[in-house]
Amino acid sequence: MNDNVIIRTEGLCKYYRGGAIRALDGVDVEIQKGEVVVVIGPSGSGKSTLLRSLNLLEIPTKGHIFFEDVDITNPKLDVNLYRRKMGMVFQHFNLFPHMTVLRNMTIAPIKLLKKTPEEAETKARELLKLVGLEDRAEAYPSQLSGGQKQRVAIVRSLCMEPDVMLFDEPTSALDPEMVGEVLDVMKNLAESGMTMAVVTHEMGFAREVATRVIFMDEGQIIEEGTPQEIFDNPQNPRTQSFLSKVL
Amino acid sequence: MEWFNKWTNTLYNTFIVDDRYKTLITGFEKTILITLGALALGVVIGTIVAVIKVFADGNKKLRPLDFLCNIYLTIIRGTPVVVQLLISFFIIFVSSKDGTVVAIITFGVNSGAYVAETIRSGIMAVDSGQMEAGRALGFSKLRTMQYIILPQAFKNILPAIGNEMIALLKETSVAGYVAVMDITKAANQIKNTTYDHINPILLVALVYLALVMGLTKLLSVFERRLRKSER
Ligand SMILES: Nc1ncnc2c1ncn2[C@@H]1O[C@H](COP(=O)(O)OP(=O)(O)O)[C@@H](O)[C@H]1O
Ligand SMILES: [Mg+2]
Repeated sequence: MNDNVIIRTEGLCKYYRGGAIRALDGVDVEIQKGEVVVVIGPSGSGKSTLLRSLNLLEIPTKGHIFFEDVDITNPKLDVNLYRRKMGMVFQHFNLFPHMTVLRNMTIAPIKLLKKTPEEAETKARELLKLVGLEDRAEAYPSQLSGGQKQRVAIVRSLCMEPDVMLFDEPTSALDPEMVGEVLDVMKNLAESGMTMAVVTHEMGFAREVATRVIFMDEGQIIEEGTPQEIFDNPQNPRTQSFLSKVL
Repeated sequence: MEWFNKWTNTLYNTFIVDDRYKTLITGFEKTILITLGALALGVVIGTIVAVIKVFADGNKKLRPLDFLCNIYLTIIRGTPVVVQLLISFFIIFVSSKDGTVVAIITFGVNSGAYVAETIRSGIMAVDSGQMEAGRALGFSKLRTMQYIILPQAFKNILPAIGNEMIALLKETSVAGYVAVMDITKAANQIKNTTYDHINPILLVALVYLALVMGLTKLLSVFERRLRKSER
């Protein structure tokens, strides 16, 4: 097995209502260290389900997920240990509203990684500075704009020093003028070498930042390739039809 | 003015002679102690039951615990608190010397059954994204509940907990049934020794009324603050 593979799935399926809904229908995907994989596809095609299965927020109906060569679908494993190494950013931020920005960022490293509060805080303030929010450390989430919330959510995940970051439509809930600031943070993160899987409708971001683009439809991967291959020369008619609608 | 002199005379005889007002004061303290103790115990039990019920929804392993919780809820809600007191004192804790502790346990266990449902609905009102965010960071279900969900749930239901405290305050007045000398029982005893059938009872009613009105006022101030902090 290749040392550089961070996540690999084998025949991943997620069914609802006893198979009446096939959110994922046999997905094989591999994400290598340092890759930025952007997943695109129509609404309901299974993009979120795929991402949420990778850190087992959804339990797959069938198939396997290997994280750094460990089969994390094995029910005997303590999946909490593996989730720490996979950061996740949600469409609706999901910051903890009863905690300050700083506490949002330090609670997991303190409780789970046994960092001292000082260590955790130093790291958190460093990261806040990187995303231009060092002066918001004591604020509560309700006092932040949407773009600021999402930037905090990203650095909150980074505080756990994950090996891979999963983004599920991180800019879809934002006012248009705030999309850029979040995409910039993600771009910087990609350039720093972070392995990323991103579900997004921001085709400009995909074209510019992705190392690989995956097109999904009806729970399956229809086509994948470099941004040039997918956007400039799509092979599958379904990819062509989707892109003609969104580009 | 003659009736007034007569009345103050009666009051003197009823409350001051033999330092009888002191029984009322210790009774008052006991009432407060039982109320606060029972509230604390009720919230702890209610939280445990609520968390078990929420987790049992998606976890077969918790079904037996969930079943035990249901038995507890059914029994407590299906019997009057006075009967529960009698059972506590004369069947379960029959050898206990400390009536106050037994009263706290009984009212606490009783209150827990009612508070559980409030806490459960408080938990359900927290956005499901909160649990997901906690799990995604690597917290277990229980830790996410502890650090992230419950603090928000309690903020949602604080007014209801306040109302439970008011209800408990009044409910504990039946503690006298099992010879606990709370303020009601103290008044009743004074009534029996002095043959003053009016003033001790009215005084106790006034004490309860003042406490409840004060708590209600406090609660509404508190609620307004809470709402302001949320904007
Ligand atoms: N909890 C659920 N119960 C039933 N169906 C679901 C559930 N979650 C997702 N689905 C269905 O699975 C399919 C894929 O959903 P999703 O992964 O959210 O798509 P996408 O993120 O690409 O829009 C959709 O048809 C959706 O309705
Ligand atoms: Mg989605």
